[in-house]
Amino acid sequence: MLISHLKMGAKVLLRRKFFTFISLFAISLTLLVLLVATAMLDSILAPRAPETRAARTLGIYRLGFEGPHTGHEGPVGYAFLDRYARHLQRVETIALFTEQQGAVSYVAGRKITSYLKRTDGEFWRILDFDFVEGGPFTAADELQANPVAVINQSTRRRFFGAAPALGRPFAIDGQSFRVVGVVRDVPIVRIVPFADVWVPISTAKSSTYKHEALGNFMAILLARSRRDLPAIQAEFRSRLAHAESPDPRLYTRIAGGADTSFEALARLLFASRENDAHAGRLRAALLTAMAMFMLLPTLNLININLSRILDRAAEIGVRKAFGASSWALVGQFLIENLVLTLLGGALGLALAGPVLAALNRSGLVPYAQFGLNLRVFAYGLAIAVFFGLLSGVYPAWKMSRLQPARALSGRSS
Amino acid sequence: MIRHLLKLVWNRKRAGALLMLEIFFSFLVTAVVATLGLFCWRNYRQPLGFSYRDVWQVAVDSKQWRGGEAPAAAARDTMSRLLRELQSLPRVEAAAGTMVVPFSTSDDVMIDDSGHGPVRMDFNVVSLDFDRVMGLHLVAGRWFGKGDEALAWQPVVVNRNLARAAFGGADPIGRRLGVPDPKGQEPERRVIGVVADYRKNGELAGDGNYLFLPQRQPGGGSGHLFASLLLRVRPGTTAAFEEELTGRLQRIAPGWSFAVTTLAEMRASSFRLRLAPLLTGCVIALFLLAMVGLGLTGVMWQNLLQRTRELGLRRAAGASRAALLRQIVTEQLLLTTLSVGLATALVVQLPISRLAGALPGAVMAAGLASAMAVIYALVILCSLYPSVIASRVPPAEALRFE
Repeated sequence: MLISHLKMGAKVLLRRKFFTFISLFAISLTLLVLLVATAMLDSILAPRAPETRAARTLGIYRLGFEGPHTGHEGPVGYAFLDRYARHLQRVETIALFTEQQGAVSYVAGRKITSYLKRTDGEFWRILDFDFVEGGPFTAADELQANPVAVINQSTRRRFFGAAPALGRPFAIDGQSFRVVGVVRDVPIVRIVPFADVWVPISTAKSSTYKHEALGNFMAILLARSRRDLPAIQAEFRSRLAHAESPDPRLYTRIAGGADTSFEALARLLFASRENDAHAGRLRAALLTAMAMFMLLPTLNLININLSRILDRAAEIGVRKAFGASSWALVGQFLIENLVLTLLGGALGLALAGPVLAALNRSGLVPYAQFGLNLRVFAYGLAIAVFFGLLSGVYPAWKMSRLQPARALSGRSS
Repeated sequence: MIRHLLKLVWNRKRAGALLMLEIFFSFLVTAVVATLGLFCWRNYRQPLGFSYRDVWQVAVDSKQWRGGEAPAAAARDTMSRLLRELQSLPRVEAAAGTMVVPFSTSDDVMIDDSGHGPVRMDFNVVSLDFDRVMGLHLVAGRWFGKGDEALAWQPVVVNRNLARAAFGGADPIGRRLGVPDPKGQEPERRVIGVVADYRKNGELAGDGNYLFLPQRQPGGGSGHLFASLLLRVRPGTTAAFEEELTGRLQRIAPGWSFAVTTLAEMRASSFRLRLAPLLTGCVIALFLLAMVGLGLTGVMWQNLLQRTRELGLRRAAGASRAALLRQIVTEQLLLTTLSVGLATALVVQLPISRLAGALPGAVMAAGLASAMAVIYALVILCSLYPSVIASRVPPAEALRFE
């Protein structure tokens, strides 16, 4: 039955090649745009190296400090995290690190600007970096403030050319470090691991950070198991509720929490000074944006489908005259439309590869690694099916309502 | 004629409604992209109000947290010494401290609601030589001077937009600019000068109100240290000077971090940041229009095929092919006019101009007009080919068409 439907559908598609071309062009380009957007979101949010343990990781990235006259929102100080984020129950380990900051070096009169991140030793245990030379620095290095650094491949090329860098010294931001490890580049959109150069926190130029409640530090927590995340979030929130204000005259309330990466993005966009991260709002916003974008393509496809009813009038008349129910006809046309959108989706997928590769090469996003994977493919499939149903239901219903006698005489309305 | 055609359109209202909806949304998308594009173009042609060439910026990370406690006297002293060091260098023509860096994305904003309505303004705390470093163009009054500390009130310099917004046509010099101060500690502010403009966000951003405050204490405002130092270097100074510059500053403040960039570089990256979304929007709108165009052509073709007999009848009754063509295209234009009219009415009565900030009415009108031109051109283009084919069918054949 299905086979005969498909055969019939294929015949109709081949009969009017111009229409088929228009439909496929529209469908494939629509799905191409959605696939590229999905791949970009995926590269920001989905768990992948070095964040291989993302499923049981929570982050404290930004907190909001709220007062009667003023507010402050952003990363917090080392002292604050040291006091309120350590020793949470069910947490295996915690890592503290700074936001990446631009840092300048001069090599033989040439200026090199790199992103510098200061981290502790645990950072390298929670995140799973891909080392091409040497290894990470350790908790002992952090304790003794050893001037050691991990750099990425691009930085190695900038400082040392093609040669290996292990053990070699270099200067950055007026300080000297020795390379102990070289890692593969991490895209800038992965805010937690991203940097060009990583050095121990304790090598900071001054040690005042140890006493500061406000600053540019963040923390990631590794839970023992994924199921423990809600309990950990609740415990941290209750600690925040009782935390001492960094400046009681200015701030009376501290808002925020330990977030998954999706929640962190939602908090950044919607709820910088609230306790709840509003992840639901981000999900709704993404779906709305997708629906808004699909509106025009859908209308276009509906119009094309509707105008083709006449093409099928004779066939519909015959099927109706022989007793086919309206539902059977609706099903048939829907399936045909789905096949068409899936075909368009496949084309879009084939085009998405080169488009993403071009985006990566363009250097718009430093070290971008946008790409297709099974997850993106699955999302793409879901989007194509959704699109097919959306654009097929109304025309299919219209077709099934043709009067058999009129349909046989070739009149549509 | 039009009335008759309206009747024809009305008779096919069901099929027409969906087409109208499609044209409606295409128009909206085109209007948004065209308006934003024209807005950027208009802004680009306005004067910037300062000169960014040969100006360098030294971002100073003093490891003092904004929003934290007021900086210590020692830190203020260090900042003043850094500034003096820069001013003493022969390659530097002038140097000044600033809280907000030109072309950066961060802003300090305050709202004055002492007058008729709230006036929103960006503000910046700067040191004395800021006008020389940035090449500001003073149109009335004076810039800050050495004797200002002795005044019982705080002098401020505004841009022309702010003077107009706060005082209308009146002479702004000497007028009070009231900003509510919850603690009542700040002295009253009086305007001492007007600069032509200072468009901190660069050429692509819209008009805004701007206010300059003088440094209240050495090295910064009342609460914070300067975030960066700006210097005008002698023309022809190369990047090689950067290393020497950083080294000198580093020796004065070993615990701080410095990063030198030229304002030209910052301008380039600010352009990229502002143009990237616009270009993405353009690409998506072009693709949507291409798709809609192809779709419309297909739909028109199919519709005209259905009306073969009607058109044949008209030709048999003596209508010329040109008349037929005119009829079909006019029908489509009627449909388009209906949807475009609806969309325009919707856009005009929405308070979009307020949402988009200071979007001038002329830009919006130009955006709507160019979107109209695009949509009409698209519809005519899409209906021409199918109608030529339809009008070519010989009447005898058309009348027999099933």
